[in-house]
Amino acid sequence: MTVFKTFWKIVKKYKGTIILYTVMLIAFGGINQIANENETDFVNSKPNVIIVNNDEEKGLTKNLIDYIKNNSNIIDIKNTEEARNDAIFFRDANYIIYIPNGYRNDILKGLNPEIEIKSSGDYQSSLAEMILTRYLKTQSIYNKEIKNETELINTINKTLKKKSIVEISSKLNTDEITKISRFFNFASYSIMAVILYIICLVLYSFNKDIVKKRTIISSMNYKKHNKLILFASSLFALLICILYMILSIILFKESMITTRGLIYLLNTFIFTFTALTLALLVSSLVNSKEAISGIVNVVALGSAFLCGAFIPVEFLPEQVLKISRILPAYWYINSNELLKTTEILNLSTLKPILIDYLVMIIFGIIFIIINNLVTKKKRVS
Amino acid sequence: MLYHNLKYSLKVLLKNKGLIFWTFAFPIILAIFFKLAFSDIENKEKLDIINIAVINNEEYNSDEIFKNTFAELSNKDSENYMLNITYTDLSKSKKMLDNNEITGYLLFSNNEVNIIVKNNGINETILRYIVDEIQSNKEIINNLIENEIRENNNFSIDYKTITENVKKQVLDNNIKLNNISNKNLSYTMIEFYTVIAMACLYGAMLSMYIVNMKLPNMSNVGKRISISPSNKNKIILGSLFASYILELIGISILLIFTSLILKVDYGNNLPLVFLTAIVGSLAGLSLGLFLATVIKTNENAKIGILISVTMLECFLSGMMGITMKYIIDKNIPIINKINPANMITDALYSLYYYDSLKRYSLNILSLLIFSIILIVISYITLRRQKYDSI
Repeated sequence: MTVFKTFWKIVKKYKGTIILYTVMLIAFGGINQIANENETDFVNSKPNVIIVNNDEEKGLTKNLIDYIKNNSNIIDIKNTEEARNDAIFFRDANYIIYIPNGYRNDILKGLNPEIEIKSSGDYQSSLAEMILTRYLKTQSIYNKEIKNETELINTINKTLKKKSIVEISSKLNTDEITKISRFFNFASYSIMAVILYIICLVLYSFNKDIVKKRTIISSMNYKKHNKLILFASSLFALLICILYMILSIILFKESMITTRGLIYLLNTFIFTFTALTLALLVSSLVNSKEAISGIVNVVALGSAFLCGAFIPVEFLPEQVLKISRILPAYWYINSNELLKTTEILNLSTLKPILIDYLVMIIFGIIFIIINNLVTKKKRVS
Repeated sequence: MLYHNLKYSLKVLLKNKGLIFWTFAFPIILAIFFKLAFSDIENKEKLDIINIAVINNEEYNSDEIFKNTFAELSNKDSENYMLNITYTDLSKSKKMLDNNEITGYLLFSNNEVNIIVKNNGINETILRYIVDEIQSNKEIINNLIENEIRENNNFSIDYKTITENVKKQVLDNNIKLNNISNKNLSYTMIEFYTVIAMACLYGAMLSMYIVNMKLPNMSNVGKRISISPSNKNKIILGSLFASYILELIGISILLIFTSLILKVDYGNNLPLVFLTAIVGSLAGLSLGLFLATVIKTNENAKIGILISVTMLECFLSGMMGITMKYIIDKNIPIINKINPANMITDALYSLYYYDSLKRYSLNILSLLIFSIILIVISYITLRRQKYDSI
């Protein structure tokens, strides 16, 4: 019992670290929560646009502005060029439209004035450009035929008003599930970092030369000592796992109490097992406190960056995803992603997920085997 | 004396593997992770060819305008190439949609075009805009024909010529848009700039460690030094020089590595990038000196304070997501004006993005003021320190 109690005493010393990673996870999950409601009707994505109007807001100019306003989100920003440039760079705005002075009169004269724009060059900006050119094209075609401004405006608006019907086929609430997947993907980082860091630090305290020597000469059987340490570490890992599971239930409520939710939880449990075996391996390989924090940071941050814990998997380059297959976190995140897109859950659709589980368990077994080899060699030497 | 102390300080610092890892290797490793994770993100955010399916029924085949426009939009040689279209039947389209092979499919029935998609999204919206645009083109043609009939009041209209004419106008891109955005728009660069900022501020570990060693209340070496008749200014100065030299070497390696191997774009003004690193390192140095002298606690606590302060500053300047920097800059600018990590990041950003050096100079000036304030406070705290007993 002494060993078991000491374990928790040392864990208590590092509670700050546990709190830090947990707070990060909550903050991350919380930010994701602010997204939109469940939609059953199709809603257009709207690009973020800034309009700089150098013309009088009347007639045709006003109509253009109204049209852009209806089809995009107008960004309210300080009226300086630097603020606008920053907005484009940081993707707060995707598109800036500068309406030139005398725009309305030029159009009425039948001219085709040049419009300056700034664009962030991404999807949203292409969409904004489509919206703008569609309007301008329609205007320029009608402008040749219709000379009266009010009639021109009415005809343009009538033509642009028509919208086609869009049906959504999926019954899956993808928004919510995407959020859950992203939460668990991020949790892979928190789990990995907390379990690796704390277990390595605690076991380091047990493995310090002077402590170890005293343990060896003590009356306690070393097998019992090791068993207790293993038991305490497993219990610690399990507690962290349960803590994050409870967090997910608090954040996502009913969505977690479904078959899908249970599979997410099972997935997390298996990943925790793999992280635990890795932690035990690292702690028997490394015996300096400074090296522990270095290695833990590199391993945890590395698998988080390369496997898609921070950045959605679809944004990662193919080659990186190929390399990251050698990391357990890849398989964990992969099954979260699969769960996100699988609409009907049955044995055949779950097969790829089960394969991911199997790979994680194999990783765990490999870590245990290497760990045994290392400790055996150390004992002999 | 100065030289002697400098030499031994360098030796002490170089022998501490932990310090060297955090100041030299860790920023490089982090930059590699950033590169691996972010290298594709901007390409994947660009508009790509959209895969769709069209149900090949009679109604679609009789719709000339849609057919022609789709032929144009799916022609790989055309500059309007946007769609990759599979013509198939309903059940196959459904299957393709379920397997995420297509964004959506189009069903022409009862004079309407139905767009069936899986969920909301940007590609889905673009698909809708394309269909809407073709629909409005159809309407434009009808309207113009009606107009023609009304104006000419005769029935001998050549529909075909009008239709061709309008189609030509619709396809003919006579819209004059002039893109005046700055060229360097790669926002992931900010992430690398924050790594530089972090490395500069992590340099504080070096100066803090070496100054701690010279303080009588922190180490035994310090006690011995303080009772020796040597000039304390020279000792502290020698230590600071040693850590500054190491810091500059580390930053230079990082800058060279990121720009040559990771291809991080620092803009065209390399000397000024190095100036940023030099001044940024000075800020790191003074931060370390400040923490070592002003805060009276044990070394581990000092390191804890240093790392949490640096991480917070890097977080606010956009390391864990560049949006954070923008949000702070836009809403609470004062926080980032006094945040050295942001001054370094912002200086590099303004070199990369802006042509004028106004914003850059302001950042460099702020960094210098920050460093001077910390150094002066540390100097005042350090001088004439006396201990009755330790």
